[in-house]
Amino acid sequence: MTKSKKKKRQDDFQKVKLKVGKTKPKADNATNINFRTKGIHLTEQLKKDGSAPTTHRKLNIKDLLSQLHHYSGTVKQGALVGLRELLTLHPSELDQHLSSLLSEVAAVFTDKDPNVRMSATRLLRFIAQSVPAERTCPFFPLLSAHLSCAMTHIETGIQEDALKVLDVLLDHYPALLAARPALLLTNFLELISHKSTGGGARKGQEGKGRSWALSVNPNRNVTGQQWRLTVLLRYVHTYTCVELAEDTHPPLPTYSADSLSCPFLNVSLFSTVEGLSSVEAVRGFASTLVPLLLDVWVEASVSDRSKTDSAHLLTPDAMALMYQVLSVLQLLRKLTPQREHQDALDAWFRSEYLGEFKQQFMKNFPYGNLDTPKQRKRKDAKSSKQTPTVPGQVVEPLALNILLCQVMVSMVILNQREGPAQEPDADWLMPLRGFVQETLSSGAKLSHRHLHTLLETVWRMVITQRSRVTEDLLQAVYVQYQQMNLNLQTRTLLLSFFSRLYLQEHNHIHIARSKVLSRWLAALPIQLSQLGHRNPALSGWLLLSIQAAASRGNKDLLKSLHTHACRLYDPQEGSVVLLPAESQQRLVQLLYFLPVIPQGLLANLSRCCTAGRFSASLAASLIRIIHLRSSLSGWSVGSPDTAVCDVDYISFLFSILTGFSSDELSTLQEAGDESVLPPSPLSPLSLYPTPLEQFTHHWDVEVCHCLETLGSRSQCFDVLQNGICKNLTGLAVVPDSMAAGLLRAVARLLDQSVLPSEALLRFLSHCCLSLLSLVLTLQEAVWGACVAALGSVPRLLRMVLQLLRVGDLCEEELPQLAQILSLLLQHTTLRNHMLANASLLQHIIQDLTRYCQGEAREQWLTDLLYCYSVTMATHRGNLGLRDIY
Amino acid sequence: MSAPMEIIVCADSAGQLWNCAVIELHSGTNLLSYRGGNSSPRALTVLNGEYILGAQLGKNFINVWEIQRKDQLQQKIVCPGVVTCLTSSPNGLYLVAGIAEAIYLWEVSTGNLLAILSRHYQDLTCLRFTDDSSHFISGGKDNLALVWSLASVVQLDSTNAPEPRHVLSRHSLPITDIHCGLMGPQARVATASLDQTVKLWELSSGEMLLSVLFDVGIMSVTLDPCEYYLFCGGSDGGIFQVSLCSQSLSRDKTFQSDNEGNQVFKGHRNLVTCLSVSMDGTLLLSGSHDETIRLWDIQSKQSIRSINQKGPVTNAFIIPAPANMFLPDSRPGIPLPRFSRHLNPSEQGEGVETGGVCVRLAPHTQVRPKETYLEKADKLYSLMSAVTDKSVFGSGENTKVRVSELEEEVRTLKKVNKDLYDFSAQLLTKPN
Repeated sequence: MTKSKKKKRQDDFQKVKLKVGKTKPKADNATNINFRTKGIHLTEQLKKDGSAPTTHRKLNIKDLLSQLHHYSGTVKQGALVGLRELLTLHPSELDQHLSSLLSEVAAVFTDKDPNVRMSATRLLRFIAQSVPAERTCPFFPLLSAHLSCAMTHIETGIQEDALKVLDVLLDHYPALLAARPALLLTNFLELISHKSTGGGARKGQEGKGRSWALSVNPNRNVTGQQWRLTVLLRYVHTYTCVELAEDTHPPLPTYSADSLSCPFLNVSLFSTVEGLSSVEAVRGFASTLVPLLLDVWVEASVSDRSKTDSAHLLTPDAMALMYQVLSVLQLLRKLTPQREHQDALDAWFRSEYLGEFKQQFMKNFPYGNLDTPKQRKRKDAKSSKQTPTVPGQVVEPLALNILLCQVMVSMVILNQREGPAQEPDADWLMPLRGFVQETLSSGAKLSHRHLHTLLETVWRMVITQRSRVTEDLLQAVYVQYQQMNLNLQTRTLLLSFFSRLYLQEHNHIHIARSKVLSRWLAALPIQLSQLGHRNPALSGWLLLSIQAAASRGNKDLLKSLHTHACRLYDPQEGSVVLLPAESQQRLVQLLYFLPVIPQGLLANLSRCCTAGRFSASLAASLIRIIHLRSSLSGWSVGSPDTAVCDVDYISFLFSILTGFSSDELSTLQEAGDESVLPPSPLSPLSLYPTPLEQFTHHWDVEVCHCLETLGSRSQCFDVLQNGICKNLTGLAVVPDSMAAGLLRAVARLLDQSVLPSEALLRFLSHCCLSLLSLVLTLQEAVWGACVAALGSVPRLLRMVLQLLRVGDLCEEELPQLAQILSLLLQHTTLRNHMLANASLLQHIIQDLTRYCQGEAREQWLTDLLYCYSVTMATHRGNLGLRDIY
Repeated sequence: MSAPMEIIVCADSAGQLWNCAVIELHSGTNLLSYRGGNSSPRALTVLNGEYILGAQLGKNFINVWEIQRKDQLQQKIVCPGVVTCLTSSPNGLYLVAGIAEAIYLWEVSTGNLLAILSRHYQDLTCLRFTDDSSHFISGGKDNLALVWSLASVVQLDSTNAPEPRHVLSRHSLPITDIHCGLMGPQARVATASLDQTVKLWELSSGEMLLSVLFDVGIMSVTLDPCEYYLFCGGSDGGIFQVSLCSQSLSRDKTFQSDNEGNQVFKGHRNLVTCLSVSMDGTLLLSGSHDETIRLWDIQSKQSIRSINQKGPVTNAFIIPAPANMFLPDSRPGIPLPRFSRHLNPSEQGEGVETGGVCVRLAPHTQVRPKETYLEKADKLYSLMSAVTDKSVFGSGENTKVRVSELEEEVRTLKKVNKDLYDFSAQLLTKPN
């Protein structure tokens, strides 16, 4: 047993014998490394939660939001990217989780990792694009708190990125930002400066005790200038938003209660602009800001001077910076809550800063561009590499100079007393004025914005200065105005400048005396006539100015209007027929102010009325205005200033009444027969059918009214009678509108006391009969005119009846005649007159019956006989009654 | 005492029989007439109920009559130019005239020319005061109507010329007539113009409330006292009644006659130049260039009386009859002074009152200032409490006297009582 045991037992550590030339036996515990591995990335969850929409990583919005609290930057960035993806895929998520989304995203504005901040900004932009301002409104305090936290952060990177967040908000929610400007505006100050903690010693030195000083941070990866530029740029944007919010005043109060609520609205509006609601607040704000801006300016200009010889040439960077400084100053001026405080603020600015402004800004005015293309190129390349954040804003020197002018001119206060000795600002205003004048009169085309700024500058200078130099300025503007090919916007700008100036003249004698202004006014009518129908909007502007000047009785304008009136009121291509209705009305109203209305103009006007190019009501008001200007209206009893002499006026009325000029009538006489209805025994005159739209003469009523008020009616009728006899009785072809109009006028004007002449009656009876022959196609108005004329002039009726000679008629005309007669018989107003001519009537009817005896009795004859018998019967009945009593 | 009598004062441009006539409103009888010359349109005014002033047509003077002395022309005020319109303030302190394009303002008590306002660019057509004389409105042929505050115009400030409070500049043709409603500075003002519109303005803000467009030019305008209706006289002889209570709230509207108050009074055949409504708002007076004055019943729109004149009517208005008018023996309270033609009388060598300031207050401002409501309440309270106080405690010296009286009485009563006691005790204790 033991042996076997021993045998069995082996040594623990057997000696392995290695032999040369043989491979080393493998150790028992050697690891086989002949396998390969592959990694499995679980970027998305395996479980699928069907309840909420997820990203492609199967993360829902809650997971993503919780990931934002992760310590790792990459996870946070991933979460932000995932959120963006989720929101693009499922916009409905945005509505549900807006509050948590915004609060979480805003929290990472101040993240240490720049990539996270960038993603956060991008996400914010995405959200801002899809959520309207009114829905963001409740979360805005939170957003702005985080924003100001980021803006005042100690790390420069975060500060810079905060500006980008601000950009997003400025783009999408300007109104919300403008509602809380005070906080942001102080933050801006923090960005470029620091509150000096220095003790009283420094304060004593500076005297004024300014508490803020420009800060320079050497760690920034942009230069101090560029940094300030970016900040100031945002600053200007914010300001503009605030400005806009203040400008959007509530709409004009309507009738009654609205006018009461108006002031309250205003109050609430301004109280939202917290901190900047009073002049004092603005003043305090300005007093911290302006010194800083001046410092920035000095730095920009000094750093350049060291490089170059000529101090007025600037690098683009410096120029952009200066430009922004000036725009901030300009905006600061406009920040007053109420317009009436503007003057107080201006005066304060002047007293505080005029000296410094003069010293700094005016030293090297005007500024130019440093013309070193090589250096600039390199610099551009460099700056674009270094600081992609700075927008490549290139400011032209012109823009800088113009803005400088505007800022400086706003310092000029109104000179109360006149006198050459009291021109305290002349020394520094001189170069400004020279520059403005030169720029305007150089003839170069200016962009709309520049021109706008320049015009504001000129306006201020003209209003405040009371010397002759303003005339030169106005001349320069006028040069600009006279340029060809200006676009509408610019043209309107210049036009409104002048018209505003003209409307202001009562305050300033020198403006009223300005030759340039009167030259401008005198040129307006010719411009209007040249403009024609090409630009109705501009014509409207011109007309407004012309009307204002005309109502003030400006002599130059009236003279020029008088010379060009015939062109303006030409019936074919004058402005009065080409422009839209509103301008037409203005042009017609303008006639009132003309000192004299010559014959030619009256002829044009009458043709305008009759040609039907403008509405009947306008034609009526034109006639009324001419009536007022004639001596016969008697409105202005005392004053003898009548524009129209009586003869012209009456002939004007008469030509409107006829509706056709003598030339047109004579061409009608000679025209071929195709357009004219031929004469027949039943219609002795051949009628010319007028087109329907020309036929609707509403204004002959107005003419009648004017004629009625001329004075004694009989004289007036004499005039009319003479006119008709002389001009119209010889006609063979008569337009039907004219015939109807004449009949109506005669019916209205004729008095019982007046005996119309034979020739007139003959002509009228011809007209009447011709019209009646058309009775089937006739309109109601013409029929009315005929009946009125026949009713008021009994002799006319008799004559018409006499003209009805049955023997001359042919077969087809007999029914027509019968129809006319029966209609006349049926008319109650005519009945008595018909009865007066009973014998004549009986004769006609006998003739008629005789002529148709051959055939069977037709319907028309039966009708006529019935009408006749009824009329006669009632007459006899009346007679019978009279006999009884 | 009977109700105030209303009269019509009218004038025509012919002036054959009289310059202006006074007619009883309801009966139409001719009460008085004033002779001499004739009056320009909108240039006849009654000053303080004591004088009638009318600017002579086409001449540069103003005719003045004492209101009780009919027929006799009392005086002529010579002006620097032809007077186109004239009015006096309702409190009778100021006289305003439009002479060419300038407004002349006189103080009636001294005759001083206080101001010449030249803001209009063309001739004036109309001047109107508010009923409290605090503002006046001027309209001219330059399409403008200006609202002036009398106080700011009158105050002496040589540095800047007085500016109007509001410029109403929405008309596009000359203004023909202005009507100023009641309620002083809160009144509503209606302006009529040849541009065929009538516009209603708020005096306090200068805002336009309503613009009504018509078919014809409007020559005259008035409101009834309640401001329910606007009456507009057209240049074709129609009088248009516009209801201001309509539901539609559009600011610009076109006149169309309907059954709801917008209607036309037809009857005149020429320009309607004057309109006026009686105090109770039932009668409308209209004067026209067709040489008639008509009286209309507003409710039924009928012409109830037509009074023929000898020429185009230039002035016609209804006023309550002044007290002096029918008392031939009465005299005006103050004689009318000479009206000066130049702005500064001191410069003309008559500098008597240099340095002195002439202050004249209106009669109703001379009375003691009224107590406030608080003072009134205090007074009332003391009055009421005095009754109770006096009944319980009496007051002041009365108390002392009374106390001493009462003490005296007590003393006598005690004495009587003691006597009675003594007597009875004596009686009882007396041994029988």
